Amino acid sequence: MMIPRHQAMLRRTVLRGVGVALGLPWLEAMVPSARAASAPANVQRPVRVAVLYMPNGVNTSQWTPEGEGRDFRLSPTLLPLQDLQDQLLVVSNLWNAAANTGDGHYTKEGSLLTCTTITKTLGLDINIHGVSMDQVAAQRAGAETPLPSLELGIEPESTGVDANVGYTRVYGCHIAWSNPTTPLARETNARSVYARLFRATSPAGMGAKQDTLLLDRVLQQGKTMRARLGAADQARVDEYLSIIRSLETRMERADDPKRTWKPLVPLNSAPEPAESPAGHQEHVRLMLDMIALAFQSDTTRISTFMFGNAVSGVNFRFLEGVTDSHHEISHHSNNPEKLRQYAVINRWHIEQYGYLLRKLRDMKEGERSVLDNSMIMFASALSDGNKHDPHRLPIVLAGRAGGRIAAGQHLKYSEDSPLANLYVSMLDAFGTPVERFADSTGPLAGVLV
Amino acid sequence: MQSNCAACHAGKSPAGGFDLNTLTAPASLRARSDSWNKAAFRVYNGEMPPGGALDVEKREAFAEWVHQNLRSVACSDGIVPGSAPARRLNRYQYTNTIRDLLNVHIDIGSALPEDSAGGEGFDNAAETLFLSPVYAEKYLEAATLALNYASKDPRGRAKFLIAAPGPGVSAEAAATAILKDFLPRAFRRPVDSSDLDFYLKLFASARSRGESFEESILYTLRGVLMSPRFLFRTEPPNTMGQMRMLDDYSMASRLSYFLWNSEPDGLLMALAEEGKLSNPEILKGQVARMLRNQRSFDFSRSFVDQWLRTRDLGQAFQPDSQLFPEWKDSELQGDIKNQPVLFFREILSHDLSLLDLLDSKWTIATRKLQKVLYNTAIKPARSDNQGQPQRIELPEGSNRGGLLGMSAVLMISSHPHRTSPVLRGKWVLESILGTPPPPPPPGVPKLDETAAGQEPATLRERLAKHRANPACATCHSRIDPLGFALENYDVMGRWRTTDAGKPIDAKGELQDGMAFDGPNQLKAALMAKKDLFIRNLVNKVLGYGLGRGLVLQDSCTVDRIVAEVERNDYRAQSLIDAVVLSVPFRYQEAPVPSNGLKQSLPSAAKRENRP
Repeated sequence: MMIPRHQAMLRRTVLRGVGVALGLPWLEAMVPSARAASAPANVQRPVRVAVLYMPNGVNTSQWTPEGEGRDFRLSPTLLPLQDLQDQLLVVSNLWNAAANTGDGHYTKEGSLLTCTTITKTLGLDINIHGVSMDQVAAQRAGAETPLPSLELGIEPESTGVDANVGYTRVYGCHIAWSNPTTPLARETNARSVYARLFRATSPAGMGAKQDTLLLDRVLQQGKTMRARLGAADQARVDEYLSIIRSLETRMERADDPKRTWKPLVPLNSAPEPAESPAGHQEHVRLMLDMIALAFQSDTTRISTFMFGNAVSGVNFRFLEGVTDSHHEISHHSNNPEKLRQYAVINRWHIEQYGYLLRKLRDMKEGERSVLDNSMIMFASALSDGNKHDPHRLPIVLAGRAGGRIAAGQHLKYSEDSPLANLYVSMLDAFGTPVERFADSTGPLAGVLV
Repeated sequence: MQSNCAACHAGKSPAGGFDLNTLTAPASLRARSDSWNKAAFRVYNGEMPPGGALDVEKREAFAEWVHQNLRSVACSDGIVPGSAPARRLNRYQYTNTIRDLLNVHIDIGSALPEDSAGGEGFDNAAETLFLSPVYAEKYLEAATLALNYASKDPRGRAKFLIAAPGPGVSAEAAATAILKDFLPRAFRRPVDSSDLDFYLKLFASARSRGESFEESILYTLRGVLMSPRFLFRTEPPNTMGQMRMLDDYSMASRLSYFLWNSEPDGLLMALAEEGKLSNPEILKGQVARMLRNQRSFDFSRSFVDQWLRTRDLGQAFQPDSQLFPEWKDSELQGDIKNQPVLFFREILSHDLSLLDLLDSKWTIATRKLQKVLYNTAIKPARSDNQGQPQRIELPEGSNRGGLLGMSAVLMISSHPHRTSPVLRGKWVLESILGTPPPPPPPGVPKLDETAAGQEPATLRERLAKHRANPACATCHSRIDPLGFALENYDVMGRWRTTDAGKPIDAKGELQDGMAFDGPNQLKAALMAKKDLFIRNLVNKVLGYGLGRGLVLQDSCTVDRIVAEVERNDYRAQSLIDAVVLSVPFRYQEAPVPSNGLKQSLPSAAKRENRP
């Protein structure tokens, strides 16, 4: 097998200097997996991973499937996934022990993918004390695709700070963190994501070459500038220079005649999304379409999506029989009517999840589908929203990660098993194994084949 | 503390690693202020001591005692400037700066991701202006877009393409002229010859590829707009051992990003060049000039929208469109959102009393807003300003005075489909008085205030029942009455006397015995608490002006500004003047000691003098 070694790329990547410990896995990540449009049908296709986050928890009485192992019956909330049951892995009784502190929402939701205890702050000391699972994968394998990862959302960034509980709302708006102090910006406009996917994959031309030169000069100038700054300010400017450098690297790679990456499916197979979606559901679906398109074309293999921000107040009265907004209903006070509405909202989220899963299932890759080659996780960072309960988190995984995941099961663990163990297994299935992740005690038994 | 904490937090293995013995010496207030703050916060929130062993009065008294001590210790060191870290332009600043630089009017920043907010709740806080990898491509895209757009617009061309090659003018000479004008404006300070050479080389490289003059200069300017010197606000480091006055160009930028949310104009740059921006009288003159300038609208919009949280209107908060079809009218939407901004701007530019924000004998509204929502006597429109907002003198007893008479505020503190005395009460405590209630104690279910299901009781009855529970009463007895007084306004802010067929009961009584019925009496009650309001407003404006969260040490500056505003009869410009003339705004701190000053102020300042 030919292993192209891009010396320039390796050098620049190592220079990124954002505090990521670089070990042997980097070299592994540099080896592109075999691919070609004409490859035999059984060739290994890339594994993709996505996380769909739902705020505000679930009606627990309607969530958990009956039965265990392969013989399980979907709960009312999960029933919309019936035709996909053999692709599902429902994992019960996991929790994130580190998040079991103080506040109701922010501590739990912000750290869903880091499994850490966040620093309580209105902004000055933002620190999530970890790197999120998706970014651990992206930092090791993201260089194989035009975009390392794709962060999407629906609600705009929540403004202000939550003075009641003493947390900045930043924690409630981001599940993807590239380092302990950097939450990744999310895109909420599908059309702009579409344009970005195109830009990232379109063949490089003269323009790109000039842009690369321009970025090179920006870096050069930045270095002169940083010499005139104090240490703290230098770190800020270094951050900027590092993202410029990685864009430059990406553009150079795209421009390299020996480049091996090719879209698995042309991007223009999907239509341009509407500029302003008609409602919440359409907005969600347009964004999920972008994940499907990005995965199918192999523009990225890693994505996170937030249905809403923590404490989301999306008005769900567009659903039959729902009379209130999301967060309000989640505090149901055990009122039967509110619990019913809570389950309706949960089920709606599962239906959207099903929409993405079916879309990926219908995208064929040889004898398999994109879904077969993916892990699509659906999760909330709370179980019962009324109590902000961090135990027994509602989590489903779908797809087989190219045959690595033992899908078609309901796995029930002992109470309060570490959520981080699931991430150890997922990172393994993705091809970026780690020894440990946060407070993990090992892989999650039974998840991998 | 001995009787309530020592049982667990002392000895060989103090619980949670929190050792009381480290806090016995008075010096610990300074050395371990973090620990003190944490203790006060957890006790105040009822998390400690466990099991609700202390009643709320004792918990509050403890927190207040800690914070008073912390503040007096902090201020005994004298006033310090605090940190002013480098930060990128936020998306609004980016848009405005491009607008002023290129004279183009496009919402270029909408291509950038949204910014987070920190500190006092604003999106210009250095600590939350994060950089994701996506910014690299977005900046490149935005720079290209803006320059292409501007180069096709005669107004844009006149602004920045100020020279062209021709008879007797070489391409290089024209490029030099353009760059000499453009670079200092883009970098907001003078440039030296090596900077100029650098960009001329970039220009020459494009020329050598055979590109036209115009293509080459646009390419060069894209390089300028990608430079961290354009995208970041940085200040030359203080190399002295003590705090020092900021250099003039940094001051020009601080002023312009505070009051215009954009770059300094020619006059500010000229004053900086003359070294005049250290002169307090000149600064005051500039503040007055800048507030009169149309660009101060960007400050008012950015500040008010975030302070009052009305930026969420039509974004995170959408009123139910079936119940409130008026909201579908985008013109009315704009009228609603603009009202508090214009009101604030009027107060600033005419130097009116800041107390008008609490209650006023005038307001600003469009005809449509008056007609559709306020049902007020409509001022006859001049033929030339049909849709324009106008100042209206309110009749005696009008319920439209101050912020609390405005739809934007009444909407943002409602649910999408109904009003909530709890949310409105909480909004008043948070946004007006700066005394947010603590979160519900752990394990207490949230109050069920909706009419879902078959509950026969009215909302007021259910809330009363809730307040009978001592765990809830502590806070809800201060939240709910404020909200009830606003029940005469529906979700859209329309006046009503009945709700679902029942007459509105807008009576409320606070723990301290202060009673009111309806919004006007509530406003009078708030006026009696104007000290709290002004202190909160000073915190907000100072935090916005500095673009960072306030720390304990800033409370001394806040004290001074509050006193200054009171001495000036609450006139608006005295607040802006005092912020601009404050030590943190005009000085740079000494090179940072590593112990940091990280306790945030809100937990200190907002805990006292509760309503």
